[in-house]
Amino acid sequence: MSTVVPDPEAPTAIERRGIRLGDALFKGVALVAAVGVAAVLGLLTYKVFALAWPAIQREGLSFLWTQAWNPNTNVYGALTFIYGTVVTSVIALLIATPLSIAIALFLTEIASKRVAAPIATMVELLAAIPSVVLGLWGILVFGPWVANHLEPFLTQWFGFLPIFSGDPSQAGLLPAALVLTIMIIPITSAICRELFSRVPRDLSDGSLALGSTRWEAIRRVAIPYVAPGISAAVLLGLGRAFGEAIAVNQVIGNGNTISRSLFPPADTLGSRIASSYVGASSVIEAQSLLYLGAILLVISLITNVSAQMIVNRFQKARRLSTG
Amino acid sequence: MSATDITDPFDLTSRSNNLVRRRRVERLVSVLAILSAVAAVVLLALVLGTVLFKGLSQLDLAFFTKPAALYGVKGGIADALVGSLLIVLMAMLMAVPVAILVAIYVAEYAGPKAASAFRVMLDVLNGVPAIIVGIFIYGLLVVGHGQSAVYASISLAILMVPMVARATQEMLELVPRHLREASLALGVPRWRTVASIVLPTAIGGILTGVVIAVARVAGETAPLLFTSSITQNQISFNIHNALPTLPLRIFTLSESPSPDDQAAAWAAAFVLIAFVLVMNILAKVFAGRKRRSLEGR
Amino acid sequence: MKRALGLMLIVAAVVAIGAAVGSATAAQSHGQGTSLTGAGATFPYPLISKWIPAVGLAYGINVNYSPIGSGGGIAAITARTVDFGASDAPLSPDQLTACKGCVVVPWALSAISVPYNLPGLRCVLRFTPSVLAGIYLGEITNWKDPKIAAQNGSCGLPDLKITPVHRSDNSGSSYAFTDYLSNVSPTWQSKYGTGVNAQWPVGIGAKGSSGVAGVVTKTVGALTYVDVAYSLKNNLRISWIQNKAGKFASPGLRSIQAAASVLPKKITDFTQLKLVDPPANAGALAYPISTFTYVIAPTSSSKSADLRKFIYWAVTQGQSFGRPLLFQPLPLQVQAFAFREIKKIQG
Repeated sequence: MSTVVPDPEAPTAIERRGIRLGDALFKGVALVAAVGVAAVLGLLTYKVFALAWPAIQREGLSFLWTQAWNPNTNVYGALTFIYGTVVTSVIALLIATPLSIAIALFLTEIASKRVAAPIATMVELLAAIPSVVLGLWGILVFGPWVANHLEPFLTQWFGFLPIFSGDPSQAGLLPAALVLTIMIIPITSAICRELFSRVPRDLSDGSLALGSTRWEAIRRVAIPYVAPGISAAVLLGLGRAFGEAIAVNQVIGNGNTISRSLFPPADTLGSRIASSYVGASSVIEAQSLLYLGAILLVISLITNVSAQMIVNRFQKARRLSTG
Repeated sequence: MSATDITDPFDLTSRSNNLVRRRRVERLVSVLAILSAVAAVVLLALVLGTVLFKGLSQLDLAFFTKPAALYGVKGGIADALVGSLLIVLMAMLMAVPVAILVAIYVAEYAGPKAASAFRVMLDVLNGVPAIIVGIFIYGLLVVGHGQSAVYASISLAILMVPMVARATQEMLELVPRHLREASLALGVPRWRTVASIVLPTAIGGILTGVVIAVARVAGETAPLLFTSSITQNQISFNIHNALPTLPLRIFTLSESPSPDDQAAAWAAAFVLIAFVLVMNILAKVFAGRKRRSLEGR
Repeated sequence: MKRALGLMLIVAAVVAIGAAVGSATAAQSHGQGTSLTGAGATFPYPLISKWIPAVGLAYGINVNYSPIGSGGGIAAITARTVDFGASDAPLSPDQLTACKGCVVVPWALSAISVPYNLPGLRCVLRFTPSVLAGIYLGEITNWKDPKIAAQNGSCGLPDLKITPVHRSDNSGSSYAFTDYLSNVSPTWQSKYGTGVNAQWPVGIGAKGSSGVAGVVTKTVGALTYVDVAYSLKNNLRISWIQNKAGKFASPGLRSIQAAASVLPKKITDFTQLKLVDPPANAGALAYPISTFTYVIAPTSSSKSADLRKFIYWAVTQGQSFGRPLLFQPLPLQVQAFAFREIKKIQG
């Protein structure tokens, strides 16, 4: 004989409905929050383009390769700023990437745990410096140093290169690119460090057992292993550099020309918007600035989504190979 | 056998030129790596050191209690401090609950496809430049209604949500499954499990994320340019108007030629960096607790 | 853990209470007086700073002013985010329409100086209009250029690059200066024109009058255009500029007055108040880059009474504060025009 003894602790029918309601409510609220945030992203993209649309219609795509920004004749073009954005960000990346890889290697391979922890913290702290403070340092300390010491040095030894030609200037592409480098290093080195620490020990141990030096193990085993991750780190750093407006605005000099040299004043998309938007003197100028904003949003989105895709493919491949 | 014979390539004790060269390359790379780390530390010391030395001399009680001055008179940052505090606090109150809810949905309820879609969405939002967020809020809210501290907080909250949501989501995923399963097996409803068991376990890491996000947005200048730049330069608690803020104050002072203004800029920068550093130390403290709680108390 | 959370909650509560109390007492702390918020040009900021405490004493009106540049001021008053705007650049017809019922009242008169940073120079620099235009056009790039030496031969000009500095924000000072350049250089007029900003072909841009003055103090070989009060405050050497009478003039009360002496006897519209590059009959003293600066106020708003009081005070008693800062008191016909415009503020 088997009887089912009712459990006095089990929830009654009403209690069960209450629990289901609670669960549904909780999940619903969380879902609303998630969808809401996604909606904000969508609304943001829509709004920026909607605000820029009159200018996009008026200027068309030729805006992208027009080099002009003349509020008095109402001729506007983005080329100067696209050039400035790309050049400063690419230079920042060219310097920051090997430095970040080297720092990551130092922290994972060379330094003892006792030394690595404080140094890692200090590199992270570089990221914590607000960009306006970095810009302040740039205007009052770094810019004059660049003009009085770095640029004359570069002119003296490398002046035959067009990028180092011309007179020194404390505001221009070079100080802006170097300030961006300082901002990117913490991001890319943190990702590289994460990547290097995840390289399976047995892979590099195997290489060492076969007689390679430590550097060769890194070069032949670890770096190819993390290469997709590093390219994602590079893209994320690039995205950060594209979007930086304030610190760049403080040291780039608000120029209007495209020059082969890195010394003269120039401008970037974000920096020009920061200087001019709030006081724009005509509706056409304001809309053209918004067109610049739309371009900035597009290139930021492209670099970010590309970084995402690389990370996803990387993780998928990793899961398939080790899973 | 003469020394020029081909030696055993696996013999690490041989003195072949190749190995010497390889060892030299190894040493060179080590030196470069060390130098790079040193360079990063030196850079940090340069910037922080300059702010410290130049800012410290200017700091006195008057600096903290007086508002900005008119042309030609030395002023303080009391008005900017109050404005920044209010705006960042409001942004935190807006962003943190939303971010935690989003993370809960992604970590606890969403299916794998939805979860990865939301993760991508959060990372994309994280990558939107701050100045674009400023333009967005300007076009959406400021036009027609005027600037206000509330709008400034909304723009900062948009910047905070992806950071806090990501940190929370990763923390939630680290909470061991057996805790959830045990709770559910005991008859605790799903929502109570998440709210009373999973969240508190992850709270250390969540707070770390919150504190780091606060430190980041406290120094953001670009959105403030559009939402809170035309201000009365006096101490005001009226959040419906634009309020003066510390980052914008530094931005304006940084371009001035007057030595008084520049000294004030360094001092204000010192205050801002001190706040950011304290937040980062707090984050480390919370991270320590997270580790301990996840290791099973 | 709980303690840290508790602490943060207490701090949040304190700030919230402070906010509530602050909002409530904010109205009382200023007594029964009202407040006027304005924004705009950096040019008149030194003078407005002197006005603010005086108006507070006279009428109990608490005036606040944010020097964000003329462009920002026009935008702010058009959007009605402030009670009044200030600009050295007169409103264009489009801007006037967009402002929907605004009056433009001249309330101060001063000059744009051209200061420079050349420490070792034995004399004060003299510029002819074509040299100044040539520098900003990028045609003259070195201080040793013979065109500069023609008027400054014995001064000891160095072999140094010229760094012309311009305003990066939309500025009334830029308007006055580009207006001057357009008048004296057909090349400038056709390529870059007059406006609160321009496509400056050379040089560094900086924000605000203090920004451009800042770059010049830091950069040897730099020059810029900025309100004369800023040049004086930062101990910058000010150049002398040749006027249409052929003489070199420096910005000062008498030279500004001379430039304003050719205004029509009755002013009916603010567009008649253009002072740059005055004709030769203004006299030998006339300074060629003088300019009025304007307050822009809505004809109807909740603050009309206070606006009328403030602006009236500014154009009468306020003028006496200007002399030490090289703001020349408004000529009588301009003051009369100002009175007529102030009457339009009804509210």
